[in-house]
Amino acid sequence: MGAAGSKLEKALGDQFPEGERYFGLENFGNTCYCNSVLQALYFCVPFREQLLEYYANNKSIADAEENLLTCLADLFSQISSQKKKTGVIAPKRFVQRLKKQNELFRSYMHQDAHEFLNFLLNELVDILEKEAQSAKNDQETSPPSEKAANGPKNGLANGAKKEPLVTWVHKNFQGILTNETRCLRCETVTARDETFFDLSLDIEQNSSITSCLKNFSSTETLNAEDKFFCDKCCSLQEAQKRMKIKKPPHILVIHLKRFKYIEQLGRYKKLSYRVVFPLELKLSDTAENSDIEYSLFAVVVHVGSGPNHGHYVSLVKSHNHWLFFDDENVEMIDESAVQTFFGSSQEYSSNTDHGYILFYESIGSGNRN
Amino acid sequence: MHRVGSASNGNNSTRPRKEKRLTYVLNDSDDSKHCAGINCLALLMSAASDGSDYLFTGSRDGRLKRWALGVDRATCLATFESHVDWVNDAVLVGDSTLVSCSSDTTLKTWNALSFGTCTRTLRQHSDYVTCLAAAEKNNNTVASGGLGGEVFIWDIEAALAPSKCNDAMVDESSNGINGSGNLLPLTSLRTINSSDNMSMHTTQTQGYVPISAKGHKDSVYALTMNESGTILVSGGTEKVVRVWDARSGSKTLKLRGHTDNIRALLLDSSGRYCLSGSSDSMIRLWDIGQQRCVHSYAVHTDSVWALASTPTFSHVYSGGRDFSLYLTDLQTRESSLLCTGEHPILQLALHDDSIWVASTDSSVHRWPAEGCDPQKIFQRGNSFLAGNLSFSRARVSPEGSTPVPVYKEPTLTILGTPAIVQHEVLSNKRHVLTKDASGSVKLWEITKGIVVEDYGKVSFEEKKEELFEMVSIPAWFTVDTRLGSLSVHLDTPQCFSAEMYSADLNIVGKPEDDKVNLARETLKGLLAHWLRKRKQRMGSPAPANGELLSGKETASRSSTHSRIEVDGSSENDAMVYPPFEFSVTSPPSIITEGTHGGPWRKKITDLDGTKDEKDFPWWCLDCVLNNRLPPRENTKCSFYLQPCEGSSVQILTQGKLSAPRILRIHKVVNYVIEKMVLDKPLDSLSAEGSIAPGLTGSQSQHQAVGDGSFRSGFQPWQKLRPSIEILCYNQVLSPEMSLATVRAYVWKKSDDLVLNYRLVQGR
Repeated sequence: MGAAGSKLEKALGDQFPEGERYFGLENFGNTCYCNSVLQALYFCVPFREQLLEYYANNKSIADAEENLLTCLADLFSQISSQKKKTGVIAPKRFVQRLKKQNELFRSYMHQDAHEFLNFLLNELVDILEKEAQSAKNDQETSPPSEKAANGPKNGLANGAKKEPLVTWVHKNFQGILTNETRCLRCETVTARDETFFDLSLDIEQNSSITSCLKNFSSTETLNAEDKFFCDKCCSLQEAQKRMKIKKPPHILVIHLKRFKYIEQLGRYKKLSYRVVFPLELKLSDTAENSDIEYSLFAVVVHVGSGPNHGHYVSLVKSHNHWLFFDDENVEMIDESAVQTFFGSSQEYSSNTDHGYILFYESIGSGNRN
Repeated sequence: MHRVGSASNGNNSTRPRKEKRLTYVLNDSDDSKHCAGINCLALLMSAASDGSDYLFTGSRDGRLKRWALGVDRATCLATFESHVDWVNDAVLVGDSTLVSCSSDTTLKTWNALSFGTCTRTLRQHSDYVTCLAAAEKNNNTVASGGLGGEVFIWDIEAALAPSKCNDAMVDESSNGINGSGNLLPLTSLRTINSSDNMSMHTTQTQGYVPISAKGHKDSVYALTMNESGTILVSGGTEKVVRVWDARSGSKTLKLRGHTDNIRALLLDSSGRYCLSGSSDSMIRLWDIGQQRCVHSYAVHTDSVWALASTPTFSHVYSGGRDFSLYLTDLQTRESSLLCTGEHPILQLALHDDSIWVASTDSSVHRWPAEGCDPQKIFQRGNSFLAGNLSFSRARVSPEGSTPVPVYKEPTLTILGTPAIVQHEVLSNKRHVLTKDASGSVKLWEITKGIVVEDYGKVSFEEKKEELFEMVSIPAWFTVDTRLGSLSVHLDTPQCFSAEMYSADLNIVGKPEDDKVNLARETLKGLLAHWLRKRKQRMGSPAPANGELLSGKETASRSSTHSRIEVDGSSENDAMVYPPFEFSVTSPPSIITEGTHGGPWRKKITDLDGTKDEKDFPWWCLDCVLNNRLPPRENTKCSFYLQPCEGSSVQILTQGKLSAPRILRIHKVVNYVIEKMVLDKPLDSLSAEGSIAPGLTGSQSQHQAVGDGSFRSGFQPWQKLRPSIEILCYNQVLSPEMSLATVRAYVWKKSDDLVLNYRLVQGR
């Protein structure tokens, strides 16, 4: 353990980034699904920085009541404030809180990393929204004298609160999809917006992220027995339906649907398909029709042949180095090794390490809120 | 907030329907008007110099009309009603045959100069039929195109030819003479073709089959044919123009260039040049001989849906989604905006120096067009050069601004009734609130088919809230407005789920607890005319055999249903009660289908008794002829009756009780009082009252209580009559509320209802 850390330190030598920490996370019995996602989130630098800032601002208040947000902030703070540059940390408090909050993660069975990520992000949003709501309530019940003093601020606060609350989690991860349906008779386009924290993409053998995104946005015809009820025509008509990204997120999380339920077998099968995910991704099919460029900074990798077996590890890019996080172990890898996690061209291959959740950060300042 | 999960594509699914449904379409008072958008136009010019020109209009209300055209007026002479969905296109073949196509998947041929005689229904398409094309000088050839890429080429004369071995797909829906050959006296002037004598009962497969033009991968929305009927051109959502040999149905060529759906096509008389209008807002001129696009014209700002040309094919009139009508010179590219309306333009028909414009509105307008000398319009000024790329028009206009219409007002308007665009079924399940395209809000009573209140231009939402009643009636019908009016759908067994007390409907001469089934009485009202005609026809010996056969069929059908309820006597139930009498001046139309022949539509007053029993769904006949209803499970409501906590009043009850869901709370009050005062055993009460014990595995039969015995029972104890109130969730219930209403608005759970009783406080 110590030897491994020292090894990484020696490998980087003078190039070890200033102020950075590379710590493995201890496994408490099949908690690799948790560890791998936490590593990806830790190296999502805007998210980490905002979480640590939140922790610094709310440290004294947070002691009053523990929740998943405070546990996560505490864990990130522990990592970033270590004297050593490398080592191992036990995320015990976080895992205990996680198991307490959600029955699904209570067992020592293997869990799905994507489910965990979804649960975590939504839970953080819930907590932040409740805090904002209670802060607002406190403001409204302040004594009259203080209220008079705070008049302008209070008015501004009330005005700001009219729209749905946008937390810093939203600012990082939330995008907007628009579902457009065009009646082919009256050509009226009906649009319905939908927010998302990640995109789940169907995959095919020997495909790429670009082609999977294209399929995700492809036009589907509603016809024959599956016509669309057009409110303008007041009747069933043929229509064309399409999904578009209306607002791309700052951090684009892409979940590859590698687990497919097989009816005959009564269980899920892993699709080891080769899906090329580029280090630089350009989103071209957005509603605004302006190209957005993204850079890959983390990959959660599923290791193994099925959903309930195997292991999760993370690949992380930090300061132009690629690191391999496997629970307690942290190693450096070549950038060229990332492509070994694309998947297998043959169905029965010895390679069972496949990219499962991809984390891209947008390049350029256009999308920062 | 809602939990944000992964975004992914979802799919819809539809559920198959088990039994045929019966629909009735409510008509407004003015039957000479269309009540929905006009999808198609066809002009019939008079051969005689003093004769009248005719305009045929096909509408989204499912009907076609013939109008006699004068200089300053148009008169509705006939309504062609048989289609059960939108009429999408219509063409004239020969001198006297009108052909229409519909979203009901059929083509129909009509005697164009009759009062609505349908001569044939052609079933070959499997989905909506969107467009037709006819050859001007070939009296027999018609092409049809539709969804799913289906294109058929019909020889109308062959399709209409008499044959002893017609396919089951070809059916007869004419008025007058039935297949059996019995001649009935006609009550109105109607023209009868010899083909009316078709037999409908053969099932042989031999019959006319049209030529199929195979090759379209996607739906077809436009068709055109040259004068001699040798060249057919089609277009649709494939975005290409396809050319066919109309005699063989074989592919000739494919023309690419449009970037969106093809919506309109025109061929010149020789078949050399073709015009296409597209959702990409462009009009293109194709040279079919040279297989290329000669010109493209950017005059419209949105989709081009309609085209019409001068006889010499030198100018084109075009309309579309931008509400605008343009005239463009095909050679010089000079273009003028003729007029702008308020609705997207669906079709055009050039009529000498005028042009008829059909739109999604139910009215049709005639505008000046100078069809004989289009140059006159350009001489008025305000013309511009049509660019050949979209959105480039503004740059070549001299003023650099949007064109000003040449004409401000149409020269003639055929008015239609505004289509219903919004509706709400009220909670009493007998009234529907509607708003039409002009903003008028009306209240309809669907058991009589009439407007009972016209509120004018008021807020629909406010009126809806104002009319809200706290009552709970099962949803015994569904409504849609795709025909521009209210279509009321009855499906078995759901439609028989609603009952009301006769007293609440002001039906006189009935016991207090008499109940009527809303669907049954409505069906009797709808079919009253047909039943009278049928009774007249049954006087002759020949239909007696049919009756016997029908009886056997019905009997065998009913044997599959257990526990069928038979109520009352047939003589009594034949009567139509006033709340269910439909208007004879504006009667509704019935849309349904029986065991064979496919769906049909007809006014209830036109059901002259020749419609066979086979043309109706069996369950409708079972209801109105044999007074049989399917088993109904939700007419009863189970509940517990308990004293309020701390109440001094206590009666013994036998667990769960059962009563009609429409039972009023004041009946429960009476029940409690009787139990207190009379102290009778519970079993004997079931014979007298409306409330009965809810025994496991069976539903007790409701029995009418005699008013006399009930009142006499009260008389000796009038002084001792206590005042009782019923509560639910500590809320005192109004005596007029029904059990169903309490369950829906107070109890709000699926568990059995719990009611509490107590003495009225303050006594």
